[in-house]
Amino acid sequence: MTIAVIVLCAIGLFFSLSGAVGILRMPDVYTRIQCSSKVITMGALPLLVALAIAEGPVTEFAGRALFVGFFTLVLSPAATHALARSSYKTGVPMWKGSVLDEPRQLEQQRKDQQP
Amino acid sequence: MTDVYMAVCITELAIITLLLIRLAKGPSVADRIVALNTISTQAAIAVLFFAAFADRSVYLDVALWLSSFSFLSALVWSRYLERGLL
Repeated sequence: MTIAVIVLCAIGLFFSLSGAVGILRMPDVYTRIQCSSKVITMGALPLLVALAIAEGPVTEFAGRALFVGFFTLVLSPAATHALARSSYKTGVPMWKGSVLDEPRQLEQQRKDQQP
Repeated sequence: MTDVYMAVCITELAIITLLLIRLAKGPSVADRIVALNTISTQAAIAVLFFAAFADRSVYLDVALWLSSFSFLSALVWSRYLERGLL
């Protein structure tokens, strides 16, 4: 039991720390958004499961921890998607080494087809 | 087990300190929102583990509040960036 809790905590803390370093070091907004989703899915969920295992599954700590996990698992992709969409639409620049910009290519194709 | 709780809590605070650097120097507003969203999720986990460490169930509601309002604030900020007030 204790070993499982420690292993889950180590996994969660490792992913949280690497995601934080990624947010600190990545070159533009979109890659930072990707790192923040890693922090939430692989960093937060093992920690919450570890808390639920350590406190026993029917205590209020475990219930609240699993509820927070459900919240972050369902709601944070929606927030991340809205953030990426708004930052693309307001013209936040991409990293200069990025290779693919599909909305701009589609718009270019549409302009070429209409004479 | 309380040692594990306190270790997780302190490490989360260190991660929050790392993210505060990005919050301070992010070139665009979207960078700051990403950092703030991650900070509030990590703070919710830190509060949960501190509640388990101190054995107080009152603090659990704070964690629930933090995790739900991080979602709300990111959504509201991105909507504000995209189409202004209203």
